[in-house]
Amino acid sequence: MRRVIKKSYLVITALMLVLLAACGEGSGSGSADSKGSSDGPVSAKIGVISYLTGPGAAYGEAITNGFNLALEEVNEKGDVNIELVVEDSAGKQEQALTVSQKLMSDDEIVAILGPTLSTEMNVVAPEADINGISILGTSTTAAGIPQIGDYVFRNSIPESLAIPAALEKAVAAYDVKKVAILYGNDDLFTQSGFDTMKKVAEDMNLEIVTIETFQKGQSDYNAQLTKIKDLQPDLILASALYNEGAVIMGQARKMGIDTPFLGGNGFNSPKVIEIAGEAADGLIVATPWFAEKENSKVQAFVEKYKAKYGMAPDQFAAQAYDALYIYAEALKNAGEADRDAFRDSLAEIKGLEGILGEFSFDKDGDVIMDPTVLIIKDGKFQIFE
Amino acid sequence: MLGEILNPYYLQVAAFIMINIILAISIYITLSSGQLSLGSAGFMGIGAYTSALLTIHFELPIIVGILAGAVVAGIIGILIGIPALRLQGVYLAIATLGFGEVVRIIFVNWESVTRGSIGLSGIPHMGRELLRFFKDIGFDPDMIGLKNNQFIYLLVLLILVLINIILIWFFTRQNKSRIGRAFAAIKMDEKAAEAMGLNITYYKVLSFAQGAVLAGFAGALYAHVLAYISPADFAYHRAIEILIFSVFGGSEVILGAVFGATFLTLLPEALRFISEYRYMIYGAILVLMMAFRPQGIIDASVLNWFKKNLKSKRGTNHGTRINKNN
Repeated sequence: MRRVIKKSYLVITALMLVLLAACGEGSGSGSADSKGSSDGPVSAKIGVISYLTGPGAAYGEAITNGFNLALEEVNEKGDVNIELVVEDSAGKQEQALTVSQKLMSDDEIVAILGPTLSTEMNVVAPEADINGISILGTSTTAAGIPQIGDYVFRNSIPESLAIPAALEKAVAAYDVKKVAILYGNDDLFTQSGFDTMKKVAEDMNLEIVTIETFQKGQSDYNAQLTKIKDLQPDLILASALYNEGAVIMGQARKMGIDTPFLGGNGFNSPKVIEIAGEAADGLIVATPWFAEKENSKVQAFVEKYKAKYGMAPDQFAAQAYDALYIYAEALKNAGEADRDAFRDSLAEIKGLEGILGEFSFDKDGDVIMDPTVLIIKDGKFQIFE
Repeated sequence: MLGEILNPYYLQVAAFIMINIILAISIYITLSSGQLSLGSAGFMGIGAYTSALLTIHFELPIIVGILAGAVVAGIIGILIGIPALRLQGVYLAIATLGFGEVVRIIFVNWESVTRGSIGLSGIPHMGRELLRFFKDIGFDPDMIGLKNNQFIYLLVLLILVLINIILIWFFTRQNKSRIGRAFAAIKMDEKAAEAMGLNITYYKVLSFAQGAVLAGFAGALYAHVLAYISPADFAYHRAIEILIFSVFGGSEVILGAVFGATFLTLLPEALRFISEYRYMIYGAILVLMMAFRPQGIIDASVLNWFKKNLKSKRGTNHGTRINKNN
């Protein structure tokens, strides 16, 4: 018996030794050479935490592609010389946290981009804030994230900015009085979208006739839709991700509901048209990203992205692309690879022209930007007037 | 010197290893009486939410929250265990898996308390609270040459290691006791054990409840190490992951669970250099493992082999082996 105890001590001690030995190697290697000299371009390492393996890997891939595309251009320009250290979080909070520790404990890393999911951000951001390293989310839209601390930023449009913009235009266009809300209640993203929708609808004095819920992966929405049909709302607010959202629209149109739909950020994907076909007509979304915008920067980005990765960029790639430009600008203004100097110059970014539009931070580190409101018409996203 | 060696990244990984070991032991205990329970994610969630809510809303000390989390999980374990343990094998597995999902759905829908799928943030962090405590009594980590976050994670890790040593000690003792023998007898043959006069319902509920307490305890620790929890953390993926820890390492002995949790938590981190492919390797290792060593890496015969080799190395037997070889 005693032997077993001894052995368990042994196992744990051995483990600790391995860990200690392993970290000795990492932290020893140079840390002095990162400070850019005053005459040449400022060089710095930036850590990236991304969702690269697992069910949501497509998001992480688009985001990393966006970073890499921007990185080439930024380094070519020569004002700054950035190196990205990309780490995978597999969409799990524990891994996001451990890997953020890895990045933060490397003194050469000046700031962090990512992680991909809001749940991961909720875990990583307080840690980054305590350690005094800037962190910028490119896809974290849930409420309250930049408010976590002084070092926490984002450049993805939160629902609280996107939904009011879309709703205002829709109310004006269709003379909306009554709305029905439909949302997925088992997902952080759609739940948070719903909270915003409800609040905005109440603020605008719209009558909410019903609130219906559904779950991830559900395939039959007839019960909810029948109820909504009877109540005859002027507009249906749907906080759904595109895969469920597209199915909902398909079933609604089949049932004879021709009311327009208004969706959140997660509903905004070309895949909706692919899945729902004609039924997708009448979906209104507010988005920072519109690939058909008549702007030379946007078109150049789309072309380059297609040539390099063989597919059209989505909003995640576009937001990541802009985020790296924001970091490059902040680094240039800071003039040195110092974490605190970087944070201060990042917070001062104002009116930076990107492919999403003109970008500024507010006092919390949240986004100030005008989203574009789009509607699907004739099987295509078009600007909603 | 000390400050350079203690990289928070390694401390953090080690802390998760410790939590995963507790989870692996929780399923090992139920397996040791022959019950396959997949409810550990549910119990973990109960422990995590109980402790988080108590410490957020009533400002109880973390330690009270964690103990309360373990106790509540244990009570629910007993309540669920009494009816559920009439089932056996896969039926029990399905029922407990169902229980775990019910718990998760409750967390999702009981929005007024759990904030639904938004999750609970702002849970007091074990290390940060301890740091505040140490600073209050006039101790600064600078005095021993440590940065704040190094100190925080070192403390958390030390506490977790201590907890693990106590738990492993307790359960190896229990295995050698009357209770452990009873568990083993029930695992071998329930009917025979009953015929020998064992109160099998009592022992089965006991092992199930012990598993629940441990899972709840680990869940509460998890909540105070991450400082944020959401229902998605306690979905069935988690239950499967915990089961794999124990089965991979070897479900017959407690060291198997310890090894499985350690190895499988380290593996994805160690394989970071091959980025996207790391989970492919993780999967491949599991498949190979089940094909060639279904009983798990460590079982009784491996332990015996170790014991024998360690003994002969101590050199108590002079010359006898040479004679044999000649």
